[in-house]
This record gives sequence, structure tokens and C-alpha cells, in this order.
Amino acid sequence: MKNPDAIVIGAGIVGASSALSLTNAGLKVLVIDRGAVSSGTTGAGEGNILVSDKDPGPELALALHSRNLWFEMQDDVGDSFELEAKGGVVVARRDDGPLMKLASEQSQHGVMIEKCNQSRLHELEPYLHPDISSGVFYPQDAQCQPMLAAAHVIRTVVQRGGEFISQAKVTRINVENGAVTGIETTRGTFNAPIIVNATGTWAGELAELAGSHLPIAPRKGFILVTEPTKKYIFHKVYDSDYVANVASSDADLQTSTVVEGTRSGTILIGASRERVGFDGAMNYEILRTLAAQATSLFPVLRDVQLLRAYRGFRPYAPDHLPVIGQDAKVKGLWHSAGHEGAGIGLAPGSAALITDAILGRDSFMDAAAFSPARFGRVKS
Amino acid sequence: MIIVIGAGPAGLAAAEAASRNGSEVALFDSASRMGGQYWRHRAAVSGYRSNRADEIFAKVSSAQSITHISEANIWSAEREGGLIRVNYLQGGIESSLTAEKVIIATGAYDRTLPFPGWDTPGSMTPGAAQSLLKGQGVLAGKRIIIAGTGPFLLPVATGLAEAGADIVALIDANSPLRWSLSPLALLTNIAKFSELMYYARLIRKYRIRPQFRRAVTAYEDGVATISAINSRFHIKPGKSQTMRADVVAVGWGFVPDLSLGGILGCAQRVDSDGTVIFEVDENQMSSQPHIWIAGEATGIGGADLSLVEGEIAGLAASGQTIEKALLRKRVRKQRFADALKRTYPVRDGWREWITSDTTICRCEEVKSQEIKDSVSDLGAEDSRTSKLFTRAGMGLCQGRMCSRNVSEIVSGITQCAVTDGERIAASNRPIAAPISLGQLSDGKNSR
Repeated sequence: MKNPDAIVIGAGIVGASSALSLTNAGLKVLVIDRGAVSSGTTGAGEGNILVSDKDPGPELALALHSRNLWFEMQDDVGDSFELEAKGGVVVARRDDGPLMKLASEQSQHGVMIEKCNQSRLHELEPYLHPDISSGVFYPQDAQCQPMLAAAHVIRTVVQRGGEFISQAKVTRINVENGAVTGIETTRGTFNAPIIVNATGTWAGELAELAGSHLPIAPRKGFILVTEPTKKYIFHKVYDSDYVANVASSDADLQTSTVVEGTRSGTILIGASRERVGFDGAMNYEILRTLAAQATSLFPVLRDVQLLRAYRGFRPYAPDHLPVIGQDAKVKGLWHSAGHEGAGIGLAPGSAALITDAILGRDSFMDAAAFSPARFGRVKS
Repeated sequence: MIIVIGAGPAGLAAAEAASRNGSEVALFDSASRMGGQYWRHRAAVSGYRSNRADEIFAKVSSAQSITHISEANIWSAEREGGLIRVNYLQGGIESSLTAEKVIIATGAYDRTLPFPGWDTPGSMTPGAAQSLLKGQGVLAGKRIIIAGTGPFLLPVATGLAEAGADIVALIDANSPLRWSLSPLALLTNIAKFSELMYYARLIRKYRIRPQFRRAVTAYEDGVATISAINSRFHIKPGKSQTMRADVVAVGWGFVPDLSLGGILGCAQRVDSDGTVIFEVDENQMSSQPHIWIAGEATGIGGADLSLVEGEIAGLAASGQTIEKALLRKRVRKQRFADALKRTYPVRDGWREWITSDTTICRCEEVKSQEIKDSVSDLGAEDSRTSKLFTRAGMGLCQGRMCSRNVSEIVSGITQCAVTDGERIAASNRPIAAPISLGQLSDGKNSR
């Protein structure tokens, strides 16, 4: 493409939705990725679109709006990525006080909640362990198949005049007088005054290429996948410990079960969180812990076979908030990264924020909390 | 203690060699009896020449220091301090065993290529037809076509014929004249001639007429289409015939099972025939300390080569001297194995045999058209992305059967050769055998 208006780097779900949103705003967009579509963290995710795991604050506001944008994106692109408002069930195994308090606060900020007693809980999830007696139902929680979503969204961008170039690794970001002018890649040089960094876990490396800095690091997680089974699990079911772990900065391993069925009949079990850099090694103790937690929630899963396990690297910032906005130092370089484990859910909302910011329009919320400038300017 | 994984020719030879100086050996296998796929014996099966098996069975059975752990499926392995622990399932219970050293001899399974009807009843691999016969004494059908490529088709055909089957066609996609490419390998492996003569006599006895440069390119409602093909496996127009058969047993060589060595981090490479194999040194040692690998997982070469490699691995792991003569024997057998690869290549013309509704991934029922669409519409560029979009390779067999074929189909559309990285990534799996979530969690509680 000669002279695109904007270049989006990264063909995961965040890059794909940003490209679509910019295209729909009338820009000619070039998307590039060093691999294929969905080859980073998007390809290792469960497809969570959650509001239930967010504390009241800017991320919850983004999540609530983004969740609705997912359904708008489905109308725009076509029903092709298994989007489903299946709802989430969060259970409390011991003291349900913290969960009930969180739910009450969330409900004051637009989250639909239903506090459940034992019989309601087991009506929602009949195979749940009989001793579990308290929980909250979140009907807004949804799920999609994120790899298909990114691929269909990029296909739509291309159909609308954009272009996608894969297997192009960025080797240089050209900056003149403090503003980006283009990028050099292993598949050629491309010039544009707007560059969107949607490289997720690798966004820090990309910022360095422009002489800037983003403190984004990987947080490893494993997911177990079982053989296809009869439908045992009807919602996204998780332990209320999960919320605490999502927000934790502890480097040690944390696991708290998230269990859900998929359309293909397999059951996905997550989610461990570890800060061990990009070490991809399999850790069988983590698999055992996840299996033990899942079977304690759903004893019926004891006889289900584990087929595979995979891992991915969530991109996280020190304050666990995404980074959305113009670089603190380089004009024309826009970041949308660091979504940690919530990137699928937050993608279309983040795309709307970044598009509005690029075009200088008002947006649905104040994005100051996500500003890259919050980490302080780096000295040049 | 040395753990030997696999009780086929390589594993048996390794266990026997290691036990010579009294080393303690734990010999694991998923079957109840020793022998692996190749020596899956029943006493009553004849038409099948493998007299070396009895000798080695006897030695392994009588060795005091070898413990045979049968019907055990190893699902994972880990380093623990300076030791290696294998986690296995036996009789529905998970256990583990720790040792200083491990010899991996996990063999190979049949390679399949898709064609219209390959997923219908009556279509199977030669290995499956043979294990039905050898393992359970069951004849897969009355009128049988044996097809594909490679010398393994011969014992399958003669074994089934001896058991009473009517081998209506024995078809190799390659021409035996290709052996002329490897004169040295033939001259240095004269013993192979007597084996060939043994099978030739049986083929004459049962009036089996071998056909070459042909392939079964479709099988529907009990009727096989046999097409003449050129050296690139493209179908020659107007030269197809049909033939009724209860069974078509089609095999295209073998694919090694790399799961366990991959889990332990042993380095791999792509062999001349596109097969992903382990890198080993002259003592069969892998890139990882205290792990040796022998047999098909270091390059498809048949039982003779596996026996020599297993013996070398067993001697090396137990700290015994390896005679120069044994190393020279491996060179000779290796030369023959290389000649086999040159003589029986699988060329990519098979991609034309499939139609848009031919199933490629049987576990997830993914059709050829879906793979093509994932490339042209969604931007899949390799078997991994195609899998994420279509689910090809996500089912029960975890892509063991289809991932190589998916790679080739994708590569045929993108016109980009399959990279070594893609082949290696598609050959590795973190769970070597299915384990239930209950068994997995009980393992945590017992630790």
C-alpha cells in the first residue's frame, strides 16, 4: 500500500479491532505482524469478555462499554467468531463476604449482578460441587473465539481498502523532529504519520525502537483443554480468588480456577499467573493444581481426559491497567497494549479510545488513567 | 537405574545391552507383551520373518536386572534435581519412577495421506491390519488391497495372505528400480537379499502380483480407484481402474513419536524425508544430559538399525565399552536406511487426490475446503494458524495423524515451503498420553 494513513503493528485482537475502527473512521490502514494473524497472546487465550472480574474504576468502565462494542463488531463483521453472552458464575468457597461486597459495588457502576443462594447456584450449574452454597451470577460476561475474531476483523479491514502484511518484523521506527514518519521491516519500508503499537506483550520492545519506553512485561499462564464431553458446564465459572489474583502484583505462582465449556464440547481450565519472563517451559505441578481446583468445583470432571495444555504470555503494566494513548515522547506513536488477561474483552473499547484520540474526538470515557505518560517521561 | 521407554526392537536391545553389566533397568511399554509394533507377536502368525525376536525376548525375560513395566502409559516426564522422573498411568492409577538415566525408544506409527474415502469403514493403515492379525488374530477382511509405499507393505501382504486373506492387489507408489540409486547400500547389506527372497517366494505362492507407480486414490462403497501416477505422484489421466475390496490398507511410511523427548527438551531436526527426528551423537546421546534415544525417533530405518542403535544406547548409558565393529555395523545399516528413504519418497502430488469435501482431520471432522478457506480467507499461513481457525489437529490424536498433511496442504496454497520450525513445533505435545483430571489431581495430593 502506498502511503497509508496509519500503520497498525500487531495482528492480534487489539491490533485488528484498532485497524477496523480506524478504517471505519475513513483512514487507509496497513496492518503488519511479524508472524501470522493471532500468533501472539490472542492465539493462546480463552476468549474472555468479562466484567465480573473488574473492580469499580476506569478498567470496569472500559470493560462495560467494550463488551457492548463486541456485539456491534459482530453486527459489522458478521457472526463468525462464536460470540456468546453465556454469563459468568463466581462462587465463594469459604467466606462470601468479600465477593458479595464487590458485587454490590459493581452493581452501582452498571454491572448486572444476581446474588445466588445454593438452589439458584445449582440451577445455573447443576454439576457444581454440592457443598458450594454461595455465588454471584454476572449475565453480561461473554466469550468469543479470539483467533477467529482477529482473522475475520482483519479480513473486513482488507475488504474495506486496508492491507495486511504478515511475517514482517519491525526493525526500525523512523522518527523526525520528535514525530514518527514510518517503519522499516523485514518486508520493506512503510511510511505513515500515525503508528499504532498493538504488539501486546512485546510492546515495550517496540517502544524502544522509537527511542521511548513502556514498562510492559509478560505474565505466563497455562490453560488445560479436555476431550469433548457432554455439556457439564453452562457458564464461565470461577472461584472468587481469581479476582484477587488478577489484581495481584505477586511474582510467585498463583492459580485460581476458571472453568468453562466451549462450543466444540471441550472444557477449558485456567488460569495460572506467573512472572517468569518468556520462559515457555511446561510446569506439570501447575497442571496438577489447576486440575485439582477444577475437579473440586466440578467433581464430574474427574473422569474427563486431559488432551493438551498450552501457555501464553499476558502483557501487564505495573499498575495492571492497559496503556492506551499517544507516546509520552514521540508524536504520532500511539500505544494500545498491556491489557494483561483482559485483552480480548477490552479490545474494541480500546480501539474506540485510540481512534477517538487519534482523530481528536470526544470519547465515551476519559482515558487519562490509561495514558502512557503515567509512567513518567524517559530522558532522551 | 536406567529407564528404557518402549519395548520394541530398539528398547529391547537397549535394555538387554544395559543389563549386561548388571545395571538396573526399568523397561516401560504400553502393551502387555514385549515386541512393540513390529514384533507384536502371536505364536500362530507365520508368513513373517523375524527370527531375531525370539532370541532377544528370551534374553530380556531372563535378565535379573530388568524389570518389565507393562501396560504403562507415560504421560509426562520432568527433571528433578539431577534425576529424571517419568509419570505414568497403569491400571488407571498414576505413579512415577525416578532414575539417573533414560533411554527413549518410543518408535513410530503409520503415516497416512488423505484421499476420498480414507475415513470410511474398510480403509485402514497396514499397521492396523497387521496389529489386528498379530495382536488379536483377526483378519481385517477377505479381499484386501495393500497400498502406499515402502518395504513394510511386503510382510503385511504375506502375513495376511498366510492367514487366509485374498490380497487382490499389492501396490507401491514408487518403482523398485529406484533401488539402483543406492548400489552401495545394497552391496553392503547382502543379508537383505535373503529376506527379500523369503517374501518373494511367498508372493509367488499366493499369486500376489505387485504393481508399481500406482496408488489407491479413492475408496467408496467397497470400490477402490487405483490410479497410475508419475514420479511426483500426479495422477496420469485415463489410466485409472477400479477394484472391489473389503479392506484397503494404505501406508506411507512412518512418523516417530517425539512427545517424551520433546517434553524433556531434546533437540530435534528435520530429516531428508521431512520427518522430524531427534539429534543424537555417535553414542545415541541426545542434546540433554543422561538421555539417550534409539530407533525410529532418530530417523526411520527399520528394525535392523533400531537393534544396533538400541544396543549402542544401552551400552553407553550403562558405561560399557562400545566396540568399533558395532559402530561400523550402524554405519552399514544407516546406509541402508538412507537408501530406503531415497527409494520410497512420498511426493506432494497426493494433494491433487483430495477433493473439497475430503476429511483431513478425522478427530474434528475438518474438510479440505475448510483448510483452504482458512488460508485464502482468514490468512492462515501454517498448520498452527490453520488449526486455530479450523480445529484441525485439536482432537483426540492431537494432530499426530493430520498435522503434517495440513502443513503440506497450506504450503501448496501459499506456495511457501513448510519451514523446519513449523515441522518441529507441530511434532511436539506437552501431554504424551491422555490422563484424566482426577488422576492428575490425585497426583498432586500424593506428592
